[in-house]
Amino acid sequence: MKYITTIGEKEFLVEVIDERHVAINGETCLIDFETVSDQPVYSLLINGQSYEAYVYQSDEGWQVLLHGRLYPAVVEDEREKRLRAASGGGVVEKGEYHLKSPMPGLVVSVLVIEGQKVGKGDVLVILESMKMQNELKSPRDGVVGRIRIRPSDSVEQKQTLLSVV
Amino acid sequence: MFNKVLIANRGEIAVRIIRACRELGLQTVAVYSEADRQALHVRYSDEAFLLGPAPSRDSYLRSDKIIDIARECKAGAIHPGYGFLAERADFAQACQDAGLAFIGPKPSSIAAMGDKAVARATVTKAGVPVVPGTEGEGSLNDENLLDMAPKIGFPLLVKATAGGGGKGMREVVSIEEMPGLLQAARREAESSFGDGNVYLEKLVEGARHIEFQILADTQGNVIHLGERECSLQRRHQKLLEESPSPFVNDDDELRQRMGKVAVRAAQAVGYVNAGTIEFLVDKEKNFYFLEMNTRLQVEHPVTEVVTGVDIVKEQIRIARGRQLRYSQEDITQSGWAIECRINAEDPNNNFLPSTGQITHILLPTGPGVRVDTGVFPGFEISPYYDSLISKLIVWGETRAEAVLRMRRALEEYKLVGVRTNIPFHQRLMDSHRFMAGQFDTRFVEERFSLEAAEEGKETHPDIAAILATLVAHQQTQRAAHIIQRNERDTSNWKWISRWERMQR
Repeated sequence: MKYITTIGEKEFLVEVIDERHVAINGETCLIDFETVSDQPVYSLLINGQSYEAYVYQSDEGWQVLLHGRLYPAVVEDEREKRLRAASGGGVVEKGEYHLKSPMPGLVVSVLVIEGQKVGKGDVLVILESMKMQNELKSPRDGVVGRIRIRPSDSVEQKQTLLSVV
Repeated sequence: MFNKVLIANRGEIAVRIIRACRELGLQTVAVYSEADRQALHVRYSDEAFLLGPAPSRDSYLRSDKIIDIARECKAGAIHPGYGFLAERADFAQACQDAGLAFIGPKPSSIAAMGDKAVARATVTKAGVPVVPGTEGEGSLNDENLLDMAPKIGFPLLVKATAGGGGKGMREVVSIEEMPGLLQAARREAESSFGDGNVYLEKLVEGARHIEFQILADTQGNVIHLGERECSLQRRHQKLLEESPSPFVNDDDELRQRMGKVAVRAAQAVGYVNAGTIEFLVDKEKNFYFLEMNTRLQVEHPVTEVVTGVDIVKEQIRIARGRQLRYSQEDITQSGWAIECRINAEDPNNNFLPSTGQITHILLPTGPGVRVDTGVFPGFEISPYYDSLISKLIVWGETRAEAVLRMRRALEEYKLVGVRTNIPFHQRLMDSHRFMAGQFDTRFVEERFSLEAAEEGKETHPDIAAILATLVAHQQTQRAAHIIQRNERDTSNWKWISRWERMQR
């Protein structure tokens, strides 16, 4: 199975040959690949070199945390890559913006009301988590749509707080 | 004299204090919130009592309940740890009134040092230099502050009178932005401390934050245990501390001079027990009193490691009325200690707090490594309390050895379930400026970025690519596997959706 894996700007052609062999950009390597105690921690022995890394799935693809460095990765097979190239990519953000809570926390105050005009960078909501207050700002100009929270509400991560139209 | 100690705190510091009590042969009583039923401090103590729901104000800040519990279980003393009730003069007083020993300073010292304006006035009188600002002016309104700001000069800091830990603090570079920042600081101070008063202080540029550990007994002996370097901070939260300070290093004359001033500042308020005098030090080695922390500090272990003094045990001995076991001449710093605060914060996502369950944890061990923590596999990092997961402390014969050892220990540290700032510390250990000891309090925010810290370090995008591909490949294979098994009587589409739900 052949994949095109993109790390940042760099593309790698990675072929998974069998359980013990992969080829990267045409160069075949002997590997031993194990997950450690069923966790997203992986141990990779490649040509005798030992590496340990965390591999997480994210919204944009994969994240590899290796030697204290985070490598965002996109893994695609050839068909997927062609499809993405055809669709053009880079959709222009339009329409409603939903302000989502970046973390679980407590709403300290809502500084806007529905229908209020806001500018880019205006503080919309103050959220407290782990004893720190965080100001959540508007990413663009617009009008505040529906507000779904009130001060002293507890919110979950990724919960929609309000929208800017 | 007491034989049973109630620990009015949680997390790693509660565990730390329980350990000291155990070693001294004292009984321990833990208190806990509903979120902490399974926490280590509950499991390690001899007795444990529920305080209330998870939010601090309903649990760890319920001083009335804590004192009732102490009375009922016949504890003779309360150790407040740091944070929560540690610097509340009224709580220390309430303990005294209830006939309980408060393992910390006298209520009057907490009050004197707790109000920063009073603190500055007090130490100034004792001949200790302070940073220029609106010290001792009492509560000023915005108009007065805006009036005085140009006289102090920009840049300056707005600080909460009752503050600490960077809350209610704002930096101001011009008069135009000052009204908005004043408001933000007051709001944060009001919600954090119930007191919206703020004061102004000149921002010392290129400043280092160096603090001195103090021990004082009831007989009037006061000594210092040398300095700690705490300049590596982000949003005024310390991230890494070391002892000795690479800035003071072999300038023993400066160390002794600062130490003497620190002792004088403590004596100015008749200080008893462990405390810390914080100084700002500029490039010319001028130093200014910043504040006194009238409690045990998070970073106390680096001092313990280089001096060999168990500060928590000394605190307990002092509270039992014993004389200090050390004189100033007995104290020497041997070797070098570094502490990294391992926080549940994602350095790759603007240090946003990360919550969740720790599913897997492997702590570093081996020569010269100490870990203070209260977590274990299955422990839930909740949004209710601070983000400190553990403190990783290493000792080395020299600073270079300590840095290399810290690098090794950070690499060994494995934690799954929440994101941590370990990658940040790893980059810091690789940074040439850190290695050379050339940094000030602005270093992390202004001159250090995760990307810029590459500095020609070897990267492994190819290995990362292989790892990501193998994991993605495994996942596709597993998915394909399920589809192939069409001997099942349900449709493969159902199986896929079930499988997908499982993976969420």
